[in-house]
Amino acid sequence: MGGKKRKQREAEKTEAEAKNGEDAAPERPKRTLLGWKEKPQEEEENAVSPIFRNKEKVLVTCSRRINFRYRHLMLNVVSLLPHCKKDNKVESKETKGACLNELVELRNCSSCLFFECRKHKDLYLWMSKCPNGPSVKFLVNAVHTMEELKLTGNHLKGSRPILTFSSNFDNNAHWKLLKEMIIQIFGTPKGHQKSKPYHDHVFVFSIVDDHIWFRNYQVSVPHTESDKVSRGSLEKMTLIEVGPRFCLNPIKIFGGSFGGPTLYENPFYVSPNQIRSLEKKKKVNTFVKKVKARTKRRMHELSNPLEPDEFADMWRD
Amino acid sequence: MGVADREVDFSDEDELPQGKMNEDYGSESESESDQEDGHVKLLEPSKNSVYNTDGLLDKLADISWPQNLAWTDKLSVVFEQAQEVDVNDDLARELAFYTQALEGTRQAFEELQKMGVPFLRPSNYYAEMVKSDSHMEKVKGRLLAEKKNIEEAEERKKARDAKKLAKEVQAQKQKERAKQKKEDIESVKKWRKQRQKSGFSGKGDDFPLDFEDGKAFERSSKKRPGVSPGDRSGGKSRFGGKKGMENRMKKKREFRDSKFGSGGKKGMKKQNTAATINDIRDFNKSDSGTKKRKR
Repeated sequence: MGGKKRKQREAEKTEAEAKNGEDAAPERPKRTLLGWKEKPQEEEENAVSPIFRNKEKVLVTCSRRINFRYRHLMLNVVSLLPHCKKDNKVESKETKGACLNELVELRNCSSCLFFECRKHKDLYLWMSKCPNGPSVKFLVNAVHTMEELKLTGNHLKGSRPILTFSSNFDNNAHWKLLKEMIIQIFGTPKGHQKSKPYHDHVFVFSIVDDHIWFRNYQVSVPHTESDKVSRGSLEKMTLIEVGPRFCLNPIKIFGGSFGGPTLYENPFYVSPNQIRSLEKKKKVNTFVKKVKARTKRRMHELSNPLEPDEFADMWRD
Repeated sequence: MGVADREVDFSDEDELPQGKMNEDYGSESESESDQEDGHVKLLEPSKNSVYNTDGLLDKLADISWPQNLAWTDKLSVVFEQAQEVDVNDDLARELAFYTQALEGTRQAFEELQKMGVPFLRPSNYYAEMVKSDSHMEKVKGRLLAEKKNIEEAEERKKARDAKKLAKEVQAQKQKERAKQKKEDIESVKKWRKQRQKSGFSGKGDDFPLDFEDGKAFERSSKKRPGVSPGDRSGGKSRFGGKKGMENRMKKKREFRDSKFGSGGKKGMKKQNTAATINDIRDFNKSDSGTKKRKR
């Protein structure tokens, strides 16, 4: 077919050249059933950008030996993201990056959330854009799951969240990058099959103390029509927390997906292992100090002997 | 897999520098000791951390969506935070998040309203929710239980307060009563003294003092039918009025009881002894009575 077309085109060209001499009428582009056969190059570029469609798919998975709290957190995230695919647990070993990349490709996803649990107590969250990066590793703190009874809100499953960011996301390059990644991963694509057309919850991403804090609130507005809210009811709007809650401490940003050159390293980061070892060390130090103090005292006593007490046997008869 | 080739060692970057780092912490351990273990942070930024601004911005440009994308695709709102939030103050922090969410939602709703598409859930739209009904039931149960607990506690507190108040009132009343009694006694004494001074002259007319109710003391005019004026038992005693008779009967009974006994073994009591033989108390008793009469 292609060969045939080319032949045809060549034929037209020669024809056009031949015609050019006779009349200078501009040639109309050839039409097909659905449009023009040949479009000018600039026009094509213009045409591509408006029909950009967000086809984000997120693979959500976790490491083996994750504990229940973190697993529930992962399941909550799954229930919040209608555009995600949940996969089996992945062994958290050194080659997990390659393994995960492969998985993401297999499942036709464009990004990945990987909950990695170490030592049954530390949760790390990998947020990655696949296949060519970047990826971020977070330490997750202060986890509260949706199952907690004090979080009383509820909202539609699959309704598109409104993402609110605190203004300090625009201060630094790495925060900007993180914001973009969060928008792409946590925002539900418009018109996604599983999404619902109404907005009844809001995500909060706020940077406090160099950590990203996440909250999810249900929006309750008194309203009668579905496309209008009066100013008064906007004022009366209240939020009820739905959960989950967590706090992300960025550790590193890599150029590739699950690896690649390090672009950012948190200068303030102390790993939980170090914290624990420090605590242990402190305990060791107490004993060492005690021993040291004791020997010091002994040395002191030896070097400065007490003078013999002249009144020692004054009352002894 | 070009990506796999580029991979650096990312397996355990937090364990690698540990040996080196620990020495640094030795000196810092004292200053860090007072910090909460959840939020331990280096006090000073480490010198050798990577910050590749160009790389970050490059990547941002790589992944970011086209600039002219409609807002509805992103649905992201930026909230201008007025001041720094203190992390360790839980309430202030949560409030900051709440206000951020609230303001953000207001902005977003206004934007959505401008577009004129329906964005609020109609009341008759039912669909699957994030939390199941059974879970929401639990939540409701907990809320109710909490409410009940609060109410009960309040009730208990109220009862306690009421009790305290009642006690106070009671004490007040008793005090008043005691005072009243004292006053009464005082007034009676006064009256007596006055009467003594005037030499018991007046009988009823010059009764000088009145009681509280304005009436001078007087016997109640109520009389029960068939009760004699001197009878204090209120007509209940059988021998009301015949005092002498009653006494005699009583004495006789006592004597007979002592003589014949009432209850206990009777055999020994009924036999005469030297004492009883010499006792002539009841012998010719009527004579003594006649003598009296004669006199």
